[in-house]
Amino acid sequence: METILIIEDDAKLAGLLGAYLSKYDFNTILVQDFNSVLETFKECSADLVLLDVNLPRYDGFYWCRQIRKTSICPILFISARDSGMDQVMALENGGDDYITKPFHYEVVLAKIRSHLRRAYGSYAQTQEERTLHSGGLTLYPERYVIQIAGQSADLTQKEAILLEALMLKEGRVVTRERLLDLMWEDQHFIDDNTLNVYITRVRKKLKDLGLEDLVETVRGAGYRLSISSEAT
Amino acid sequence: MKLFWKDQVSLLLFYLLQMLLVPVLYWLAGEHRPIAIVLYGMALSSVILLLYLGFRYVKHYRLFARLSSPVPMVEYHSIPLGDAPLPEAVYEHLQIIERKYQEQLNMHVSRMDQHIVFINRWVHQMKTPLSVIQLTLPELEEEVASSIQEELERLRKGLEMVIYTSRLDRFEDDFQVEVLLLRKAVNEAVSENRRLFIRRGVQVDIQVDEEIFVYSDAKWLRFMLTQILTNAVNYTSGTGKTVTVSSTQIGTDTVLNITDQGIGISPEDLRRVFNPYFTGERGRQYHESTGMGLYLVREICNRLGHKVELHSRPGEGTTLRLTFRGNLVQALGPNTDRNKQT
Repeated sequence: METILIIEDDAKLAGLLGAYLSKYDFNTILVQDFNSVLETFKECSADLVLLDVNLPRYDGFYWCRQIRKTSICPILFISARDSGMDQVMALENGGDDYITKPFHYEVVLAKIRSHLRRAYGSYAQTQEERTLHSGGLTLYPERYVIQIAGQSADLTQKEAILLEALMLKEGRVVTRERLLDLMWEDQHFIDDNTLNVYITRVRKKLKDLGLEDLVETVRGAGYRLSISSEAT
Repeated sequence: MKLFWKDQVSLLLFYLLQMLLVPVLYWLAGEHRPIAIVLYGMALSSVILLLYLGFRYVKHYRLFARLSSPVPMVEYHSIPLGDAPLPEAVYEHLQIIERKYQEQLNMHVSRMDQHIVFINRWVHQMKTPLSVIQLTLPELEEEVASSIQEELERLRKGLEMVIYTSRLDRFEDDFQVEVLLLRKAVNEAVSENRRLFIRRGVQVDIQVDEEIFVYSDAKWLRFMLTQILTNAVNYTSGTGKTVTVSSTQIGTDTVLNITDQGIGISPEDLRRVFNPYFTGERGRQYHESTGMGLYLVREICNRLGHKVELHSRPGEGTTLRLTFRGNLVQALGPNTDRNKQT
């Protein structure tokens, strides 16, 4: 389990980040005393640092330089400042990446994962592939495969994204807007009709696995995945 | 010279009166002096007057020259006006005014700088609460969350506009022209605003050649594209409509057209849409308009050396046309690879 040190003076933001990362099996430590950031860092022997730029007493750049004197662990800056200059400063002071506020959890998580992979390659190999379970259903979102009771079906990337979003919110409605947003590609706008087509395909694949009526349409809102007990 | 004579007119008239006074006095007193001697006296006196005028002209030459020059010179304080009492007094007076003016100007400049710093800090402070809200969202009910998400994005865009407006005052310190891949810039801007497109059910069609490079500043261009796309979407009502982004080459220039199928702009508004705070009839109907978007776009274009035009027919839609100078398609062939790597 990797330890992530969060150096952010907004207690609420730090708390939210910490709680979210804990869900993904990270050990998170929040800095409380901004006079002794370095001591906290040494004590917890963090594998990765999330560092805000605006901090009481010294700024993030200062602490980054201090940490760099003793460690080469990945340091990701999180800052409200979005000018090119600040990003250059962050990297020149020893940072590895720069995330601007406001951000989404997914971005932070993805960047943390990628930096951990790079810095501690060995972890990556032992790290298990991401899986999602719902009832008897198992989704491998990175391999685009879905499994139930020994049977499996291949999905396309879009179908995997769709199913992942539905499974994460199992039992609750996922809006069409959210799904369209997730499935948006660079220049291709996915319209409602296309989404309908994808939903139909997902339903068909589930049906082939013997699962019918898992994806419900909620009129005027979106879709809901409801795995009843009979599916298990 | 003209001003000098104007200034002396009263003296000349006064002198003329005096010249007449002497012969009249002789005549009244009944003395019959020869006319020649009277004229000689007058001529002598006139020579003295001329000497005086000449002397005065030389002494005040610079003052009069300065006063009658068509464009007032700014640096009064640096050039003395001569050593006669009047020019010296005027010079000193101007210096005092100048100093006061400079003081006031400095005060305003520093006050404006302070204001810009404050606005920048404030916007950045606001981003932390925005992050907190953003991160709290997934825990909420999906329907509520998407509505809050919408408001959040409006706040974010509003803050962005504030910061870019204040940056505009210091544009010179804050831009870097480089060679940009136009397609990439457009893709990023569209992708960044995708939720707006999704919410409005507006589609986007990008027809920009992969190989086109332009000279621009990435940050400002992205900001402009966001403004333009937001406008295009906001003025397009009804689902199934499309916003088209396309590029063409006109001579050596690269032209980017952003066309919507919206309500269009009436001819009488067309001239004024680039004015600050202009929202027009349409803007008031579509309450999101602050009237600053297109104004900022034009200001940024002016500074970056791009050209911006708007063509519209009411009911048929609007095309905003950005023109980038210079053709970089061939010129930068070998650099294509380098850009892809970095």
